[in-house]
Amino acid sequence: MSDFYQTGIITTLHQLGKPSLERLESELLGFSKTRPIALVLPALYSEFEGPAMPGIVQELSKVKYLSEVVLALDQASEDDFKRVREFMAPIQADVKIIHNKGKRIGEVYETLKRNGLDAGPQGKGRSAWMAYGYVLARGKSDVIALHDCDIVTYSRELLARLCYPIANPNLNYAFCKGYYSRVTSKMNGRVTRLLVTPLVRSLQQLTGQHGFLDFLDSFRYSLAGEFSMSADMARINRIPSDWGLEVGSLAEVYRNYSPRRVCQVDIATTYEHKHQQLSADDAEKGLMKMAVDICKSIFRTLASDGAVFSEGLFRSLIVTYLRQAEDTLMKYEADAMINGLAFDRHEEAKAVEAFTRAIAMAAQMFVENPMGNPLIPNWNRVTAAIPDIFEMLRLAVEEDNK
Amino acid sequence: MMEFLEMMFEPLQEVFAKFNAFLPNLLAMLVILAVGIVFARMLRKLLLKFLTTVGFDSWSDRMGFTTLLRKGDLWMKPAAVLASLVFWLLIILTLMVGLSALDVDAIDELVGQFFNYLPRMFSAAVILLLGYVVASFISRAVLITAANGGHHYAKLFAEAVRALLMLMILAMVMEQLQIATNIVLAAFSILFGGIVIALAIAFGVGGIGTARRIIEKEFADDSPDKEPDDIEHL
Repeated sequence: MSDFYQTGIITTLHQLGKPSLERLESELLGFSKTRPIALVLPALYSEFEGPAMPGIVQELSKVKYLSEVVLALDQASEDDFKRVREFMAPIQADVKIIHNKGKRIGEVYETLKRNGLDAGPQGKGRSAWMAYGYVLARGKSDVIALHDCDIVTYSRELLARLCYPIANPNLNYAFCKGYYSRVTSKMNGRVTRLLVTPLVRSLQQLTGQHGFLDFLDSFRYSLAGEFSMSADMARINRIPSDWGLEVGSLAEVYRNYSPRRVCQVDIATTYEHKHQQLSADDAEKGLMKMAVDICKSIFRTLASDGAVFSEGLFRSLIVTYLRQAEDTLMKYEADAMINGLAFDRHEEAKAVEAFTRAIAMAAQMFVENPMGNPLIPNWNRVTAAIPDIFEMLRLAVEEDNK
Repeated sequence: MMEFLEMMFEPLQEVFAKFNAFLPNLLAMLVILAVGIVFARMLRKLLLKFLTTVGFDSWSDRMGFTTLLRKGDLWMKPAAVLASLVFWLLIILTLMVGLSALDVDAIDELVGQFFNYLPRMFSAAVILLLGYVVASFISRAVLITAANGGHHYAKLFAEAVRALLMLMILAMVMEQLQIATNIVLAAFSILFGGIVIALAIAFGVGGIGTARRIIEKEFADDSPDKEPDDIEHL
């Protein structure tokens, strides 16, 4: 059973006791009458051939409170698209699929590009952004929830708990991040455990108290891909198109909303999904690429908030991080021991070394180009540039789904 | 025997002589078609390059023309659509000029009719284009004014104004193209007149009370036997 301790500057909604799923869903059905809920699913076609998606569709077919499900499909041919439509048919809610490789959506991306509004390369960030655009274009939903499509341990309780804080009008939250324990027979979630938390605490140690660092440190699992938000937020937030997606999105939430309107919720007792290789020797793929992008995103956010990064600070940061990470590693070893979990100390230490290199690389890249890859612009800016873009997007998706 | 052979070959010789006379015309038509197609293709390429350079696509995106194309399920770049339109217009012109080179009376008459109809097609296209821009502008102005005025049905109102204006513009286009002019005119008059009468009745019936209050107030203010008050107005 979870404890009830509140950490940091945001609200934590724990899983206490055994809350009834039926009660949650029945309340959500009531809330959805006045605050309709959309579910956004960014997915690759390959995920429909994996073990997770059949379970997700089976669970979603029992959900009654969703007004629409928007699946942003990447890397799929025309035939794959048709297969996915049949695959999603059991879901009761209105399902629309954004065929990112299709001719019509391709033209929408082309329209954005020629107007100086590049949506960036293919990826989860771009897919999620396009799906938000479609939800806004339809104007049917007030709440948007998003989760990945590679969750092997998916249950509809996850979705209900994720939607509840935003859908419930009495709670007044605008953004809710999911968290869960990444434990099987061992502890997973290396990037959060061994990179983000020690890095944030090292930066706090070196730069002093900083609002964004406190905000980021308040999240139990800042890299979780599951969250819900008010539709208004989707209109004003920008989105990174690289691996800095989760951290960059949190930076936008911090920038635009008070932490009092932000919460995190325990959505699952167990969570298992596709694992990335560490790729310690190649900064262009795997967890190393993810680590570099995350570090750059944190540096950029702090710099945009007035923090000054000198060469000396970066040197100290690497050493401070290493100490922090080593201390963290010992804590996790003790945690694993008491719980009888497998803990490969050597592999964990190797990950810390790789992440140290990633921080150094990110620091160098940041010094060379502090602006980095621009974020995907928010939908308010897009509609200011192309007033009819929502109409165009709606037509593209609806023609594709006919 | 010779007579019989002459009788047989005479028609053939006549046909051959006619074909000989027709052959230069046919060749002229083929040359005109070949040159016209090459010219049209070159012009399409040049026009596409020019339109891309001057940012025609972005302009169309902002003006709403791109969305208009998308509504017709046309998912090409606006510049490519315009270039293709010009290409096919040139192909049709080439075909007409080529056919007239055949020097056949019936075809000449048809070609003449086509060229006489061309100015009408052009003016209809201009009316449609300008009409769409003006309708969009007025509709947007109505939307902004109504939304700023706090009206709940601002979008519906703006769309209704756009639909009415487009109806009027389409009637003008059909009239210009001389397609079933009488039917279009009658249909337009009935539809447009019907809408205006319906609106007049709706506003009239709905506004009886307000109108009465305004009139009563006016008469009450202007009444000569109204006693003057003691307050001195500035």
